[in-house]
Amino acid sequence: MLPQKNHPDNEFCHIPMGDGTKVDSNQKGKINRMVVLGPNSSVSSREIVGFLHMLELPLNIRLTCYGANVNGYPKDVLEATRKVRQLDPSHIFIKFRGFPPGDPRRCRAKRGGAREGFHQLEAEYKLLNDVSYAIEHPKHVDLSLPKKVPVNTFVKIVHEIGGNSN
Amino acid sequence: MKVAIFPPNSMILADMIERKGHEPLVVQKQMQKKVTSPDLDAPPFNMTEQDPINGLKYAAIEVPSGVRGRMSLFGPIIEEAEAAIIMMEAPYGFGCVGCARSNELTTFSLRKRKIPVLELDYPTSRDQTVEMVYKINTFLDNLNQDINKEE
Repeated sequence: MLPQKNHPDNEFCHIPMGDGTKVDSNQKGKINRMVVLGPNSSVSSREIVGFLHMLELPLNIRLTCYGANVNGYPKDVLEATRKVRQLDPSHIFIKFRGFPPGDPRRCRAKRGGAREGFHQLEAEYKLLNDVSYAIEHPKHVDLSLPKKVPVNTFVKIVHEIGGNSN
Repeated sequence: MKVAIFPPNSMILADMIERKGHEPLVVQKQMQKKVTSPDLDAPPFNMTEQDPINGLKYAAIEVPSGVRGRMSLFGPIIEEAEAAIIMMEAPYGFGCVGCARSNELTTFSLRKRKIPVLELDYPTSRDQTVEMVYKINTFLDNLNQDINKEE
């Protein structure tokens, strides 16, 4: 028998809820973004969520400790992330995400312990302060080590300083 | 322009690319296709028998299926890339031997494609971070100029 085109089994992913039941995900065509606040950000995650709600876009928004998760159709999500970035351009970072917010396969409310991606986020968070500074002050920094002074030149300098001190 | 990044899940690199108006190719996009498609239910069944077969395009049959499975995720990124930013020695890129070999194969495949590649080291100080961001921005601006020349 040929598979039916518009049947839910062929359209959606069945997500196990952990109690033996399964739900159809409604994620077809949707994307996710994480709004991550840098350490010195002038806005809080609660303000971010408030701002996102005020946009009145058809989005699924979740408040998190590092910022917010946004889920929805690409046009709405990209518009929301573009606008939310303008609140504090150098301290707000946008990360891609595969699983939708609250997905029982990844959400720590169901599983316990930190979500897998959180460790990576934690590692990158340590750099965000410097990255924000670099975005605000774009400049070239010479990282090459200073050249060694030849021995003869060094002896001359020592004699000059020694001669001056006498 | 589509820019591949390595580590393929780096937030900082993806964010810098988006700020400059390019499209970052990240592994999360590939994961999203997998976890929202009807074939798959939940981990640990998040790898199908088709994945190691797809990975054969990049690694020989003797290579462990774990590496080939990972390459089936990284493969579309390598093929779509029009430019690449590779950051070496990132601490969160560390993993098992399967991860290490997949990483080596991914960076090798990106270099072999003869696309513009920027290679960086993971920064450990503020000066190094400022220089890293400066290099990334200059690289992305040059990509913009290349596009304008072609037009």
